[in-house]
Amino acid sequence: MTDAPAFADMAAAGRPRRKRANILVFLARRSPLSVILVALFAFAALFGSWLAPHSMTNTDLSVALEGPSASYWLGTDSLGRDVLSRLLGSAGVAAQAFVIVVLMGGLIGTTLGLVAGGLGGFIDLVVSRVIEILQGFPTILVAIVVVALLNPSLATAMTAVGLAAVPDFARVARSVAIQLREREFIQAARGLGYGELRILWSEVLPNMVGPLIIIASFDGAQAIMWEAALSFLGLGVQPPAPSFGSMLREAQNFLAIRPSLAIFIGVAVSGVVLGLNLLGDALAEYYDSTRR
Amino acid sequence: MQKNEITTYLLGRITGGVLTLLCVSALAFFATALAPGNPASVLLGNMATPERVAAITKLMGLDQPLPVRYFLWLEATLQGNLGTSNLSFRPVNDLVMAAIPVTLQLAGMSLVLAVLVAIPLGLILAQNRASWWTRPVSAIVTLGISVPGFWVGLLLIMVFSVTFKLLPSGGYVPIGRNIGGNLRAMILPTLTLAIYLIPSLVRFVRVTATSVLREDYVDTAKAKGVSSTAILLRHVAPNTLITTITYVGLQLGVLISGAILVEIIFAIPGIGRLGMNAVLNRDYPVIQGVVLFAASGYVVVNLLIDLTYALIDPRVRAR
Repeated sequence: MTDAPAFADMAAAGRPRRKRANILVFLARRSPLSVILVALFAFAALFGSWLAPHSMTNTDLSVALEGPSASYWLGTDSLGRDVLSRLLGSAGVAAQAFVIVVLMGGLIGTTLGLVAGGLGGFIDLVVSRVIEILQGFPTILVAIVVVALLNPSLATAMTAVGLAAVPDFARVARSVAIQLREREFIQAARGLGYGELRILWSEVLPNMVGPLIIIASFDGAQAIMWEAALSFLGLGVQPPAPSFGSMLREAQNFLAIRPSLAIFIGVAVSGVVLGLNLLGDALAEYYDSTRR
Repeated sequence: MQKNEITTYLLGRITGGVLTLLCVSALAFFATALAPGNPASVLLGNMATPERVAAITKLMGLDQPLPVRYFLWLEATLQGNLGTSNLSFRPVNDLVMAAIPVTLQLAGMSLVLAVLVAIPLGLILAQNRASWWTRPVSAIVTLGISVPGFWVGLLLIMVFSVTFKLLPSGGYVPIGRNIGGNLRAMILPTLTLAIYLIPSLVRFVRVTATSVLREDYVDTAKAKGVSSTAILLRHVAPNTLITTITYVGLQLGVLISGAILVEIIFAIPGIGRLGMNAVLNRDYPVIQGVVLFAASGYVVVNLLIDLTYALIDPRVRAR
C-alpha cells in the first residue's frame, strides 16, 4: 500500500484517521462485555499452556470425576484430567480454528469477490453463481466428504468450515467493490493509467477492511462453534488432545454423575462465541458510524 | 411475456441445481474413492491376506480406472441404484430410504415449531422496540445465537431425562409401531433443533419487520386510523413473510447440519447417523448415497422455495 502514497491518502480521507484511532475506546464503551470475553479468550489461547495448573493429557484415575476443589478449580474429567487445564488447551485449539477459517475464507473469498465486483462482466457472472451455489450448502456434508478423504483432524475439519466461509467474504468484498468502482478516487487512479488489478489492490481493498473485519468476527465465531460440533462428532480434534467438542463428547457419558462437567465446557464455548458475535455487532456499529 | 420470463427464470434455476448436483456427485465420488484405506482390507479386518484383499478388490470393481468407476457409478446412480453397503451388504437405497423419513420427521417438526415461535416473536419485538422487556428478550436471542445447539441438547437431557426422568435421553420408536412412544422420543430432539433454529430466525424477522414498519404504506394506514395490531397482521406480516421464506431456504443447510448433530446426540437412526457411521467405518457407497441424497434434498427444496417466491412476489416475475 505504500507504493501509491497520494491515493492511499485519498482513500484514507473517506475514513477520518482520528476516529479510527478510537476504535478500542468505542468498543469498550459500546460493548464492554465483548471486549472482556474476547480478551479473556485471546489471553487463554495465547498463554493457556503456561497458565494451565495441571497437565492437559496425563490421566490419573484416582481423582476421576471430582467436583471443583482447591487443586482442581473446575473439577476433573472421567480420566482424572484437570478440566480447567483442558479448557485452556481448548481455547488454543479454538483460536487455531478461528485463524484457519478466517485466513482461508478471507483470502479466497476476498480475492474472488474483489475481482468479480471490481472487474465485472463475465468473471462476475461466474463468481456470483459459484457464490450462490456454495452459500448455505450444508457445512456438515462438506466436512463428511473432506474427512472421508483426509482423515479426521483439526486442519481437515476447518478446511471444510473455511470453504463454507468463502461465500461470506466473497459477497461482502464484491458488493463493496461494486460500490467503489465508480467513485472519484478510483476514476482518478484510472486516469493516471493504473491497471485495474493495481487499482483493486491499492485503492479498493484498503476500503473494505472494515466490512471484512466484521465478517471475520462473525465467521470466526462460527468457526469455533463448528470446531466444537465437528470434534463432538469425532470428525475434528482427536482424543486425547483437548478441544471444546471432544471434551463435550466425553462429558455426555457422565451427565448423570457429574453434570457440572458438561456445564463448564458449554459455558466456556458459549462465552467465546458470544464475545465474538457481540464484537461483530459492535464493529458493525463502529464502521457504520464512521462512514457518515 | 410474463410467463416466458418465469420459464427462463426457472430454467436457469433448474440448470444451476443440476450443475450443483453433478459437482456434488463428482466430489462425493472422488473424495471417497481417493480416500486412504482400501475398503477391501477394512472389510476383511484381521482375516485380510494379500490374496483375499486382491480378490475382494476385484469383486468390488475397485481395480478399474477412476473415471471409468465414476461413470459406471453415475450411470447406476441415475438409475436409482446406489450400490450396496461395504459393511452390512444391504442395498444403500434401502438404508437411505429407511433413514430419510426419520430425518424428515425431525427436521419438519423442528422447523414448524421454530417458525411458529420465531415469526410472532420477531414481529412483536419489531413493533415494541421501546418496551422494557424487549432488551432482555433481544439479549436472550443474541445469547441463543452463540450457544452451540448440541450443548443445548445435552442440557435438555440433563434436565428432562436425568433430573426429572420425564423423557427418554435417546433412542427412536418407529411411528408405525407406536405413535405415542415415537412422539415422546422425539420431543427433546425436536426442541433441541428448534432452539438451534429460533434465535437467528427471530433476529431476521425482527430486522425485516422493522424496515417494513418504516414503509410509507404503514404510515398511510396509521393515518387512516388502522389499529397497530391490524397493521402488523395485514401489512407487516405478509411483507415480512416473503423475505422470511427465502431466509428459511438459505437456512436449509443449517437445518440439515443441525438435524445430523441432533440425531447423533439422541441416537436417532436418521440420515445423519447413517452418514456418520459410514464415515467412521469407511463405508464408501453409503457415504456417497448419504451425501448425494442430502445434497439433492437441499437443491430441490431450494428450487421449490424459488418457485414459491416467484409465485408469491410479483416483483420477482417482473424482473
